[in-house]
Amino acid sequence: MKTRARFGVTFRMLAVLVVLGVVAFPLYWMFVTALTGDEALFSGTPQFLPDLSRIGVFADALAQGDVLRWLLNSFIVATGTMVVAIAFGIPLAYALSRFSFAGKFLVALALFFTQMLPEALLVVPLFAIFRETGLLNSLLGLILADAAFVLPVVALILMGAFNGIPREVDEAARVDGARPAGVLFRILVPLITPAIAAGAVIAFFTAWNEYVFAVTFIYDKELQPASVGVAGYIGEQDTSIQTIMAVALIFTLPAVAFYLFAQKYVVAGMTAGAVKG
Amino acid sequence: MSSRAARRLLTTAGALAAATTVIAGCSSGGSPTEGSAGPVTITLAASTLGDPGRGPGLQALIDDFNADQDEVKVEPASVPYPTFGQTVLTQLGGGEGPDLIRFDMPEFEAAASAGLLEPLDERLDVDALDLLPGPDKYMTVDDHRYGVIFEAANYGLFYNADLIPNPPTTFDEFVQVATSTTSGDVYGLAFRQTQAEEAGVWQDIFNYVYGFGGEWSDGEKLTLNSPKVVAGLEAFQQLYDANVIPKGADAATFRKMFAQGKVGMELNNGGYATATVNANPDLNFDVVRIPFPVEKQGALLAPIVINGNSAHKDAAMTFINWLLEPEQQQQLQSVLGASSVATVTERSAESLAEAPYLAVLDELTETGVPQVVLGFGAETPDIRRIVVTEVLAALQGTQDMKTAMDKAQEQATALVGG
Repeated sequence: MKTRARFGVTFRMLAVLVVLGVVAFPLYWMFVTALTGDEALFSGTPQFLPDLSRIGVFADALAQGDVLRWLLNSFIVATGTMVVAIAFGIPLAYALSRFSFAGKFLVALALFFTQMLPEALLVVPLFAIFRETGLLNSLLGLILADAAFVLPVVALILMGAFNGIPREVDEAARVDGARPAGVLFRILVPLITPAIAAGAVIAFFTAWNEYVFAVTFIYDKELQPASVGVAGYIGEQDTSIQTIMAVALIFTLPAVAFYLFAQKYVVAGMTAGAVKG
Repeated sequence: MSSRAARRLLTTAGALAAATTVIAGCSSGGSPTEGSAGPVTITLAASTLGDPGRGPGLQALIDDFNADQDEVKVEPASVPYPTFGQTVLTQLGGGEGPDLIRFDMPEFEAAASAGLLEPLDERLDVDALDLLPGPDKYMTVDDHRYGVIFEAANYGLFYNADLIPNPPTTFDEFVQVATSTTSGDVYGLAFRQTQAEEAGVWQDIFNYVYGFGGEWSDGEKLTLNSPKVVAGLEAFQQLYDANVIPKGADAATFRKMFAQGKVGMELNNGGYATATVNANPDLNFDVVRIPFPVEKQGALLAPIVINGNSAHKDAAMTFINWLLEPEQQQQLQSVLGASSVATVTERSAESLAEAPYLAVLDELTETGVPQVVLGFGAETPDIRRIVVTEVLAALQGTQDMKTAMDKAQEQATALVGG
């Protein structure tokens, strides 16, 4: 019995290590590549350990480019997109979940279908709209474009979460005198925090990685997000592989940090109410 | 989660929203319009600016222009190379975009045909310039001049002289050398072979098609499936199937490999010379004519153009005129490496002694063909996509090359009409 239990723990540990390896290895490989010279990079035997004497490549990348400004722009765009998508996603999902109105099914279906449109298809009409509204070459325009693109996903996630809460909860709150907005924000929103956190993570990452809108709508170097900045290191005839790896690694770290921050809300929400006392 | 914690989260989100909106609402101010006081700021978009080898040189040239006078200030527009064409075309189509653009030929033809570029007929004093007639004749679309050559680069066979002491002189030798050089982590040849590098694949197959006597069109009708085009592409496939290239490696990777002596040969244009020297100054490489049956090869022609939407056309022309002066042409040519510029520009004896391949590449100008479909310049990007997609499917073994080009001919003909 004990042996079986120990075997189970060992197996689980191994499985976790394998999954961790699969997830973390690309990042590790980027780190190793950034610290490998051209000669070693293309030798027959791959180098699995970083050459720490070349660690200056990260400092050089930060010094020579506008990496910190790109990261700040990306952070503004990703945070703004997340906030806008959640702010609009909550009432939209609530309406789809709790109210009956003509064409409700069609609205939900349309939301679903918008996810089938590639960005490249939207970029030209959005460009024309933004030009007329003065939103080109501004981070606000980029936030609105990204938020519009990710809103359906966020709304569908939140709608599923609202659907999982019995309507009796709403009714009980209304009996106690709560208005619809009060029911939504004081009663239901706290109950779907994990779904909100999940939606926020998706919105943040979508905007953080987005390239097509950013490269087309922003032409001022001062306003470029990191996704465009990193691509700028790819030259027509020559590309510094080490620099691009270093910058790409720096680019991933804030996103990872944000996920670690948001994860506790997801987990806390999942376990809240699990034990009733 | 408690309702207090949720409230805290929402309050934080609200504060973030407010802060983000304030910061994000800030956008850069425009430059003064033409005629107003102070220097007019214009933007130049050129994928050359992103090259580690050539970018700094071009930036120095721009800095010289900015220091030379105080009427116009040129700033580089940052458009990454991988999506340069489609990004700038989208911006132009939407009534925006950089003031000055260094385009590749397919995008130049498309933009000119769509009326997105400023005609230069009245703006450029051609008689006062000693323009290179070969490349310059392609600067006219529908009887109007829309550009002037920024860079003209001929394609040659770059080879590592340490790995290959005697470069091939025939196609059979080319295959044999590529095969015999391939060993362990060294490859005899490298070329692009993925859809992600569509424009690059087009440039690569272009040399095979024209080197085997093929042509994409007769000027009026597409000839994508003509026997000679198919023969050229089958030669391309022969080398792919021979496993002499690092399959899956993109241009950035295999060019670094060439610089490190891990690739023996590459067909590339003169602009590559500077990048190679920059990547490895000690590399012993040389250039010869591509050893294919017919003495014709691709030529990378890159015009500089003025955006038709620009509010600063005169200022943009000021920069072009400055760039066309002999001293700047000389400077630009040394920045670009083994490429020609708009005007007849003599290379210094010093540079020719240092890099004998410069003369070899210069001599290829007469047999260079710009990488567009003759008579279908504006449709070239769409034809390119069709051709590359079908060719790559043939490389993957899903169809033979003849079938691939029959399908390409059918699709492209439907696209252009006829």
